[in-house]
Amino acid sequence: MAAACWRALARASAARPGARCRCFSSSGLLRANSGEPTKFQPPPKPVIVDKHKEVVERRFLSPEFIPPRDRTDPLKFYIERTDMIRRRKVLDVPEFYVGSILSVTTADPYASDKTSRFVGICIQRGGKGLGATFVLRNIIEGQGVEFCYELYNPRIQEIKVLKLEKRLDDNLMYLRDALPVYSTFDVNMKPVPHSANDEIPVNQLKVKMKPKPWTKRWERPKFNIQGISFELSEEMMKEAQKWSQPWIQFDMLREYDTSKLEKEIWKEVNEELKK
Amino acid sequence: MRLSLAAAISHGRVHRRLGLGPRSRLDMLRNLVTALVRHERIETYWSRADEMRFYAERLIDYAKRGDTDEKAMRMADFWLTEKDLIHKLFKLLAPRFQSHSGNYTRLLQIPNRENLDRAKMAVIEYKGNPFPPLIVLHRANEKTLLNQLLKGYREDILKTRATQVPEGAAASLHSGTAV
Repeated sequence: MAAACWRALARASAARPGARCRCFSSSGLLRANSGEPTKFQPPPKPVIVDKHKEVVERRFLSPEFIPPRDRTDPLKFYIERTDMIRRRKVLDVPEFYVGSILSVTTADPYASDKTSRFVGICIQRGGKGLGATFVLRNIIEGQGVEFCYELYNPRIQEIKVLKLEKRLDDNLMYLRDALPVYSTFDVNMKPVPHSANDEIPVNQLKVKMKPKPWTKRWERPKFNIQGISFELSEEMMKEAQKWSQPWIQFDMLREYDTSKLEKEIWKEVNEELKK
Repeated sequence: MRLSLAAAISHGRVHRRLGLGPRSRLDMLRNLVTALVRHERIETYWSRADEMRFYAERLIDYAKRGDTDEKAMRMADFWLTEKDLIHKLFKLLAPRFQSHSGNYTRLLQIPNRENLDRAKMAVIEYKGNPFPPLIVLHRANEKTLLNQLLKGYREDILKTRATQVPEGAAASLHSGTAV
């Protein structure tokens, strides 16, 4: 009975070669079919190759570890790093980016269960060292709500990434001027699974804005925003280009190459965290 | 981008304001860098030379990446207003400084300008240029008064030591036997 079934399937797949790839490979079966089908041959077991193990583990260094570019004594940043590592040993601070959707649980003495939870999209990461912050935004009951959390605040009890992704920009403050749809997220959202070795997906979403005036003139080249589909007149877009500074990319002293620094700090932090 | 009191109190704005604005400043420095690459030794205001020095050095750093590097080529294209110099930058200057890791230029102050405004002037040059050196290092001359005095002093010391050593040795020997 089973053999008949297989034969029928093999014939069907032979008739439609395009559809073959969708079901399992049947070339071996076909050959058996042309000869004398004596015994039932089970299809080969699918071999699951875990590609992720071959990929080198992605290195992620939280941006607040990289000291800003000024002439402050590096000792200050070193001391802050040790404190940050101590905090990270207690609280699991996950990898997240601007554009990821997070849920943060904080201690709240006035809440009934002494904690409060907020879900929102991370629209900005700011600060360096112990004072690093991130801003979550959501729209709750038609009202835009933003929380600026300090990453190393002891009142934070849990940070959970519900959806790990990036957007086209490193700062999503323009969501304040965008239509409310784009910053509305379900409070009871379930976490989207993400493998640790996958590339971070970049959400190519282009938001639509409310009519002007905005909090900032986002169309100006200074902000260099990719994530807005501007519906302005051609004249206005041309006017905005008056503020462009094409020479600024050639000012070599503006560059801040942190690749070396990043490697050193990553090594230091990783060793400490493993202890 | 240099460490000085002026930079310390300028709240991070550590460049001079030259020309008629940011664009003019960069254009002016661009012309100076082009001139430096062409002539390898130029004379300007000290402030401009000092400001241009960083860019001249960074340009060499970029040139070391090779002419197949897109960013390096774009930088060279911007900073060298005379395009025949791009070849010189990649084929002559970059190999010259291949073994160095920085400090490609030398900046020397020269006497203030006489005729016009007594402006502070400087000479800036790429190291290893074919011109005669600006600073001739004098060899150590024995005949100067100071060196003669030092020589005499040294000889005196040696003499006294030669006379004292046997006594000291005898003393130490004596003390050794006493203990």
